[in-house]
Parts: sequence; structure tokens; C-alpha cells
Amino acid sequence: MAQFDSPSGSESPAALANGDENNKRNKAKAKGNGNGNGRTRLRDGDIKDLNTGGPNGTRAIGERRSSVSKPARDFRDKPEPEPKRKKRRTAVAPGAVREEAATPGDAGDSSTRSPSPVIDFDGLSRPSVGTRERLEEDDAQKENRLARMKGAVRTLLECIGEDPDREGLLATPERYAKAMLFFTKGYQENVRDIVNGAIFQERHNEMVIVKDIEVFSMCEHHLVPFNGKMHIGYIPANAVIGISKLPRIAEMFARRLQIQERLTKEVANAIMEVLKPQGVAVVMESSHLCMVMRGVQKTSSTTITSCVLGCFERKEKTRNEFLSLIGVNR
Amino acid sequence: MSPTPSISSERISQHGDPAELGRELKMEGQRNISDAVRTILECIDEDPAREGLLDTPERYAKALLFFTKGYGEKVSDIVNNAIFREHHHEMVIVKDIEIFSMCEHHLLPFTGKMHIGYIPNGFVIGLSKLARIAEVYSRRLQIQERLTKEVAYALMEVLSPRGVAVVMEACHLCMVMRGVGKTTATTITSCVLGSFEANEKTRNEFLNLVGVNK
Repeated sequence: MAQFDSPSGSESPAALANGDENNKRNKAKAKGNGNGNGRTRLRDGDIKDLNTGGPNGTRAIGERRSSVSKPARDFRDKPEPEPKRKKRRTAVAPGAVREEAATPGDAGDSSTRSPSPVIDFDGLSRPSVGTRERLEEDDAQKENRLARMKGAVRTLLECIGEDPDREGLLATPERYAKAMLFFTKGYQENVRDIVNGAIFQERHNEMVIVKDIEVFSMCEHHLVPFNGKMHIGYIPANAVIGISKLPRIAEMFARRLQIQERLTKEVANAIMEVLKPQGVAVVMESSHLCMVMRGVQKTSSTTITSCVLGCFERKEKTRNEFLSLIGVNR
Repeated sequence: MSPTPSISSERISQHGDPAELGRELKMEGQRNISDAVRTILECIDEDPAREGLLDTPERYAKALLFFTKGYGEKVSDIVNNAIFREHHHEMVIVKDIEIFSMCEHHLLPFTGKMHIGYIPNGFVIGLSKLARIAEVYSRRLQIQERLTKEVAYALMEVLSPRGVAVVMEACHLCMVMRGVGKTTATTITSCVLGSFEANEKTRNEFLNLVGVNK
């Protein structure tokens, strides 16, 4: 229950009943601030009530979150990190830093992070089990793979009652096999090749957005396409990336068996890792044919997912600016 | 008009043999499809045992059988005697029927809208039957040209109106997601029979009312 301290300074009965030393100290501090209402104003305009609540920053039952645009936090997770004071970053070239961060175990420079789970040591990102083999296979193995897939598709056609030998279906197994290998080519792609050194020191610290990137992916549950648009925004920390690299990274993660939630998150994490900006935000809206063509069959429904990192996660205003600029739901 | 080859008394179309798909055969077919899908997943280097893909073969098998359920449907059952004697000789159009079909060349969906019009000859058909007939022929492995033609011929056969016109505009994912990758391209096909074929004015009136390209 939210408690307000009266200007006269008398302790409210509930606070006394809590018997929490911390609360009393905080209330005294708040009074000293001149607020006079026992509430402390944190950065970013979020008001947090310090009077009640359990350990780990849990709220008392019945108390509302003060900001609905902040992501809800489960108290069983790690407690909210303390808001850091802004300190000037030294202008370290992210290109050089990226190389260092790519090798495991490097934690020297304060502006690098520990090796990301997103990008492996050789630039692949969440490769599947056979990816590295497939990268190194010769023509004979490729033929063998294609032949197995053709056999499987032929079985599919027979099972649905079609005649695999009629003219229209004769080459369908091969076409489908090649199409599926194309739709899953993202596993083989190497982030370093994609980015290709296109990171430039620009001393630009305003938001950069690339919106309406068409994305086509395959639903891993039904092997049916889902397609839509992705909007990517980031705030550089002095280094900008070539604009086309953002859709290329999106393409790399989309050409796989995916779910929309994971796709959004992987793109955001990859850009964060490669560029190390102040923050990254990715929003994706798409239509899932597995829901449109079959099952519940709702044709006009759209699914929207998002992933915000860095300053977009911390600051509501930044997040709102991004969301209004991309104009989802207009 | 000589009997169209597209509908015979027992079977729906010249390809596919739906009468034999009994229930047991369907289960066995589903198992075979699941095994085939597992092979495909291995060939694209995915791990069929990871959580997200564990039931995917079964889900895909059911989805594929749903997308090809049109083979097992008979037009006479679908129409269900919803043909009524009515002294109406003006054009009847049902437009913007959403169609989802599977391209037979790449096994990828193509989706779009179909517009069906006919001029009755003393008999009208229940309006939903037009959409249902379209559904019967679209839930198969198709090409857009054949789909349009089959719907037109089926309606002509079942109702014997003065004329039938079917126009379909669709977006082919096989062309959008891969290959040439043109996302805004639409394919339009049409089939006109009877008075629509004979009279330019009738055809024009239909095309104006349907409003493709407006």
C-alpha cells in the first residue's frame, strides 16, 4: 500500500508497524529533499515508492507498477540493476574491439562485454547441428543430400494421394529441396562477412532507424512461411554501421526455421554485439500463414514482437520516440 | 456443351484418387509424411530432436493433409442441393473470396482473392456454394491457371447458367520469398464461359463490377 508522509513529519502507523529501519531512513532522506511525501524521484521520471515492499524490491500486494512501459520484472529474478551514472566513454574503435571480444575469455577493456552467446568464434550465429559439415562438403555429399530430400518429397506427394509422375509434379521434389535449402541458408552465413568492415567512426549519437524491412521466414512448428516487416533502430556510440547491413543481418536470422520471438531477439542481440551501440530496438510485425491458411484461420491478424536493449530498455522516452517514429499501428 | 472433363460422377478431378483414402490409410499416410519431414529436417542440418522441432513432422503432416483436403471432396456434396428455381436473369457476383492454395511446383502457398460471377438461367445457387466450390479446388496442389478454370467449369456443370466468369488475383510466395524475389507482383488469371465469352459488353460489365485494378 502506498504510504504518504505528511509534511508535519509524523510517522504513518503502517510504516511504524513495518518497523523497517531502512524505510525510516529513506523517509528522512525524502523529507530532507523537500518532497514531503515519502516518495523519491529516481532518474528517468519514474517514481518509486520506497515505503513498503519486501526484499529484493518486491512490491506490496495491491500496489501498481509505477510505469507500465517498463518491462515487468519477476522478483525471483536478479534485482533491478542500479541506475549507473553516465560516464564519458573513450572512443574505442568497435572494429578492433569486436575482434577482441570475439575470442573467448577476453574481459580486459571496460567497453567490451564477455563473448556473446549470439555469435560464435568463427562468425556463425547459432549454427544448427550439421552447419559446419555442410559448409565444407564436396559435390558428392551435396548430391547425396539433395537425393535424400527428393525422396522424402516424393513420399509426401504419394501420401497425399497425388501422382508424382504427372507432368506438373515431375520436378517438384527437386524444386522443393532447393527451395528449402534456400530458406535455411541463414545457418551458413557468417556475420563478419555480412558486416564486411562497414563500421565507420562518425561521432553521431542520435537515433538511426531502418524501417519496413520485409522479412520472410519459416515457422519451425509447421514449416509454413510467415512474413512481415521488421523495424530496426539503434543509437550509436560514435560508430555507425552501413545501413544495408541491418537488413542483411535480419535476413541472416530470418532464413532459418524460426519463431518470431526468437528472430526478433537474435537480430537485436547480434547488432548489439557487432556494433556495441548505446541501445538497439527491434520491432517485428508479421502475418503467420500457419494461422491464416489452417487452424484458426484468422486472415487479418498480425503478430507483433519486440526486443529492446541498452538505452531503449532503460529509458521510456527513448523507447517511445522509437515507437512513434516507426509508426506501428498507424 | 459437352460434359466438362473436370467433374465426373464419382471423382472430382482427373488427378488424385480421393475415394481410396480411408481412415487407416490416412493414419499411415500421416506417419509416412512425418518420416519424410524428419528426413528433410536432417538434410537442412537442423536437429529434429530439439524442443521446437520435436512435433514438427506431425504438425506438418496434418497441415499438408489439410492443405490438400480438396482432393477428397465432391462438388455434389458441397452444393448439397442448394439450387433454387428463381426467375432471375441478371448477373450475380460473389467477389473478394480469399483463396489459399499450394503451388504444385514448389509446394509453397499462393494466396489471393477470387471473384466469381454468373448469369442464371432460371436457377440460382446458394451464395456460399460459390465460395465452397472455390475452396474445394484451391485446397490441392495447383497452378493458378488451372484453379481458375476448374472453378469455372465446375460451376458451369453444376448449375448450367447462361455464363460464368471467374477472375483470380494472387500473390505467389514461390516468387516472393525466393527466386526473383518481387514482393509487390500480383498474378491475375481469368476464365469466361458462355455469354461472358460471347459478349464483350457482358464481360466488361463483370470486370467493372469486380474492380480488379481499382
